[in-house]
Amino acid sequence: MADEQKPGGSEAPPPSGSEAPKPPAKPAADAAKAAPPKPAAAAHPAPPKPPATMAATPWDSDLARELKTHFGEGITETSTYLGQNFLVAKPDSVIPILEYLKLEADFDYLVDVTAVDWPKRAERFDLVYILYSFSRNERIRIKTFIPEGFKPETATGVHLTANWLEREVYDMFGIEFAGHPDLRRILLPEEWQGFPLRKDYSILKQDDRWVQENLGIPSGQ
Amino acid sequence: MSDTTFLDSTELVLNMGPQHPSTHGVLRVILKLDGEKVLGTDCVIGYLHRGVEKIGENRTYAQFNPYVDRMDYVAAISNGLGYCLAVEKLLNVEVPARAQCVRVILTELNRIASHLLWLGTHALDIGAITPVFYCLREREEALKIFEKYCGARLTTHAFRIGGLQYETYDGFEQDIRDFNKWFLPKVDEYEELLTNNRIWVGRLKGVGVLNADECKEYGVTGPVLRAAGVKWDIRKALPYSGYEKYEFEIPTRENGDTYDRYIVRMQEMRQSVRIMAQAVEAIPEGPIMGKVGKVIKPPVGEAYVSIEAPKGELGYYVVSDGSTQPYRMRVRPPSFVNLQALDRMVAGGLIADVVAIIGTLDIVLGEVDR
Amino acid sequence: MNLLKKVFLVDLFQGLWVTFRNQNPKYIYTEQYPAERPKVAERYRGAPRLNINPDNGETLCIACNLCALACPETLIVVTSERNETTKRKELTTFTYDTSRCMFCGLCEDACPVDALELTQDFEMATYTREGQIWDRQTLEEGPKPTQYKC
Repeated sequence: MADEQKPGGSEAPPPSGSEAPKPPAKPAADAAKAAPPKPAAAAHPAPPKPPATMAATPWDSDLARELKTHFGEGITETSTYLGQNFLVAKPDSVIPILEYLKLEADFDYLVDVTAVDWPKRAERFDLVYILYSFSRNERIRIKTFIPEGFKPETATGVHLTANWLEREVYDMFGIEFAGHPDLRRILLPEEWQGFPLRKDYSILKQDDRWVQENLGIPSGQ
Repeated sequence: MSDTTFLDSTELVLNMGPQHPSTHGVLRVILKLDGEKVLGTDCVIGYLHRGVEKIGENRTYAQFNPYVDRMDYVAAISNGLGYCLAVEKLLNVEVPARAQCVRVILTELNRIASHLLWLGTHALDIGAITPVFYCLREREEALKIFEKYCGARLTTHAFRIGGLQYETYDGFEQDIRDFNKWFLPKVDEYEELLTNNRIWVGRLKGVGVLNADECKEYGVTGPVLRAAGVKWDIRKALPYSGYEKYEFEIPTRENGDTYDRYIVRMQEMRQSVRIMAQAVEAIPEGPIMGKVGKVIKPPVGEAYVSIEAPKGELGYYVVSDGSTQPYRMRVRPPSFVNLQALDRMVAGGLIADVVAIIGTLDIVLGEVDR
Repeated sequence: MNLLKKVFLVDLFQGLWVTFRNQNPKYIYTEQYPAERPKVAERYRGAPRLNINPDNGETLCIACNLCALACPETLIVVTSERNETTKRKELTTFTYDTSRCMFCGLCEDACPVDALELTQDFEMATYTREGQIWDRQTLEEGPKPTQYKC
C-alpha cells in the first residue's frame, strides 16, 4: 500500500517560494491535478479531497512473479511508476530479498540506500534500497515502511556498499541498523544531537550546544 | 595502546588532516601506520556538509537548480543535467531534440574539463608540476565556452527543467569545432609527458588495485570500474538525452590499478571529443524548451534517474508530494561511494600510495559531503 | 635497445622536451590583472543593475515582485506604492543583498520587462558588510570601484 502523503500535508513553504516563475514565452501548461493552488485551497470551503497517491501500476514480469512466489507474504506490493519498477516489502523480509536478488537474480550492485520521512504516518520512515543488475541491465527499488525506533537489519552482510550509506541514513534520520559494524555519524560531528533530515527539524536549527562548545559562538548559530 | 610501553608499540596513528594539499578538499584520513606501511585507514568526512538535501526540501524545483551545481563544483554541468533529467522524468515532459543535443555537447565539454582538472591535480600530487599548468590552460578554454554560453564559468546553472534557458550564442558551433581541433593534440602532449615516464609508471603501476568483483561489491562506478575491466557506462546501458545517437567507445583496461585509471580517463577525453564532434555537426533546429508550465508541480510520485558524471554514477532520487517543493531530494554521489573503497585499495601500501589513490579516485568533497 | 633507452633516460628527456617547447613566449597565458582587465562574455552574470528607460529617465521596473519570488535566497525586497493618477504601482525602494547572492540569474530570467539585469561588472568589493546590501540608487548607477593606476 504505497500510500503517499496527501499534498496538503507538506509544511507551508515560505511565501517567496510558492511560485517558480519560468522565463516568458512558455505555454501555461496544466500542472498536477492533485493539489489546487494554495490560496484557492484556503479560500474554498470545498469538500475534502481524498489524498492523492502515486499513480503506480502493477508490475508483472518473470522477476516479480518469482519474488512473489518465493517470498509470498513478505512482499506486499509490486508496482511500476514511470517505467521504474519497485516493490514494497515487510521490514523483516528486506535482507532475505536482497540476498535472493544478489544470488539468484544477479542484482549485484547496490546503488543507494536512503530514507524518506513521513511524520504523519504510523510507519514513519520509508526505507528505500535501489539495486542494479549488470547482466540484466535492470534497476529495481525495494521500499519498506518502518516505524520510529525500529532497528532494521543491516545490509552490509550482503553488499559492502551499504556501510557508509547506512551510516548516512543513521546520521540524517536516526534509523539505527542492527548489526552494522561501525554505526556512527558520518557527515555531522560525532557529538551532534538531532537528526536533520527529519521533518520536525527546522532548516534553520543547529545543535546550539555543540556550536557553543566547539565553535565558541555564543548564540549557537 | 595503554598497557604497552611507548617503545614497544610499532603502530603509529597519523592524521592526514582536513587541511592537506593532497586530499583534494577537506578530507581527513586517519592512518594506522607501521613505519611507512599503512595498516588501515579511517576516513572522516563531513567538513563540507552544507545540508543540500535539506535545502532541497525547502526550495521549489526551479529554485533548487543553482544549488545543484555546487555539489560537484568541478563539473557543475553534469549535476545540473542529472537534476533536470530527474525532474523532467517526474513531470513526464519531453525535452526537444535541439536542447538535448546542446546538452550533450556541454556535458561532454564538462567531462573534458573535469578530467583535465583531475589530471592536473593528480600529477601535482605525484610530484609532476608541469601538467597542472597545461591542464588548467586547456580547462580555461572550456570554461570560456561555458561563460559565453551561460554567463558563469564554474557554477554554470546552464540547464533548466524542460530544456535550456539560453539559445546558443553566435559562433557556438565554430567555437566547439575549434576546441576539438585544438584540444586533441594536447592530449597527445600529456601522454608524451606522462605515459611512458618511468617515474610516473613506477608510482602508479600496481598501486591501489581494485578488481572487478571488489568494485561491484563496493558499488564503485565510473572510470574506476572501467579500469577494472567492466565495460559499463550509463550512457550506453541506460542512455539519456540522446546519447544513443552518437558513436563512441567505452575504454576499459584489465588490471584495475592506478595506471589503468589514468589511461582510461585519457581515453575518455578523446571519446568525449569524438562525441562533441558528432553532436556539433548535427544540432537540429527547433525549440529549446519543452512544455513546462510556469509553476512546476509534478504529480505525486518518485523517480530515480542517474547519469554518467565524470566521477561515476550520479543519481537523483526525487520524491514529490504534489506541491511545488520536492518532498525528498536525495542525491546519490559517486565520490561518496567510491571513497568507501579507499580502505581496501590502500591496504598494505605506503603513505605515498595513499596520496596517489585519493587522487585516482577523483573525489570532490563537495559531492562527498553535500 | 630498451637498456639503452633506460640508461640514457630517453622517456624523461621526451617529457622535458615538451616542457622546453612550451617555454616559447607566444604560449604565455598569464593575464596581467589589474593592468589589463579580462574581457568577460556578454552573458556574464555579474553585478545586478536596475535599468532606466533611456527616453524619459524613469525606471523600467514595474514592481511586480517576480524577481523577489524567484530568488532562492530571498534577498530581494521590493516596495512600491500605488500612484493614484496613473493607477499603477510605482517602485519606491529596491533592496538587493549581494553578500548572499549566488549570481544564479533566476531574478534576471524572471523579470518581464528586462529591468533587472546581471551586468558584466565583477568588482564589487566593499569595506563593510552593510555596503554589500545595495539600495535602489547603487543598483541604478552600478558599483564604482576605485581605479588604481599601475
